[in-house]
Amino acid sequence: MLFFSYFKDLVGQEVTVELKNDLAIRGTLHSVDQYLNIKLENTRVVDQDKYPHMLSVRNCFIRGSVVRYVQLPPDGVDVDLLHDAARREARGG
Amino acid sequence: MSWAGPEDIYLSTSLASYLDRKILVLLRDGRKLMGTLRSFDQFANAVLESACERVIVGEQYCDIPLGLYVIRGENVVLIGDLDTEREELPPHMIRVSETEIKRAQKVEREASELRGTMRKRMEFLDFD
Amino acid sequence: MSGEEDATVREPLDLIRLSLDERIYVKLRSDRELRGKLHAFDQHLNMILGDVEEVITTVEIDDETYEEIVRTTKRNIQFLFVRGDGVILVSPPLRAP
Repeated sequence: MLFFSYFKDLVGQEVTVELKNDLAIRGTLHSVDQYLNIKLENTRVVDQDKYPHMLSVRNCFIRGSVVRYVQLPPDGVDVDLLHDAARREARGG
Repeated sequence: MSWAGPEDIYLSTSLASYLDRKILVLLRDGRKLMGTLRSFDQFANAVLESACERVIVGEQYCDIPLGLYVIRGENVVLIGDLDTEREELPPHMIRVSETEIKRAQKVEREASELRGTMRKRMEFLDFD
Repeated sequence: MSGEEDATVREPLDLIRLSLDERIYVKLRSDRELRGKLHAFDQHLNMILGDVEEVITTVEIDDETYEEIVRTTKRNIQFLFVRGDGVILVSPPLRAP
């Protein structure tokens, strides 16, 4: 639940989601669920020329299982909070 | 089943805002389907009405009609809400017939297969 | 508990817990490698890393000679969430016994 909670707190911030098929999409995090499926708003594809079919997509749902990375906003990372949460999670909390 | 808590119901409806809208579905094999989203579930299984496959080869494209499709969620990469106000494709792209796009697809596929077999032959000859 | 770290290692993920706030090496699928500071992880090996360097190794085939050209691409990312299903291995920092 650590990352589900983390991403819920990140709603409203700009992120870049990089998929396993190399497509990278930047947008505002709209919502996330327990599978880490992600919804983005005001999206733009990083390499637009390579993905012309994405031109008119402004909002999208990304299946959690196809995500490789999420690039996070620097001010959206509270390092101490994360360390504590990770230790709690490791204890099965 | 215990997963359907009130919060989960809210979350699993995250595709609800795309219902009855024209959407783009990217599949894991790279195919691009378009159509109207009529139903979905928590696995991202989706029902597409008036579905078509958008085939793009270089600057050419074609929408091949498919009818009613039930897509297995596992194969879904992304579901995009299509903004009907915006241009669907860059202006330089040309719509061609199904026959033409299939020919173009075949040429593209054969070119990449040729690269593959040439590489294999070179590997075969590479004795050290 | 939050003050003192339980240093016993009973299972693989204990090693990862002891690497929190340390720089680790992560090998990923599709010929990617990461080096970065571990800030969070869970049982799936989902992670958040900081000051990340990513190295991608690609093999291209020369169109003329059909020779293999090995290239590495590097990039730096300040904070990165990594999905655990792409992780092949994690190497904690070496420390004195």
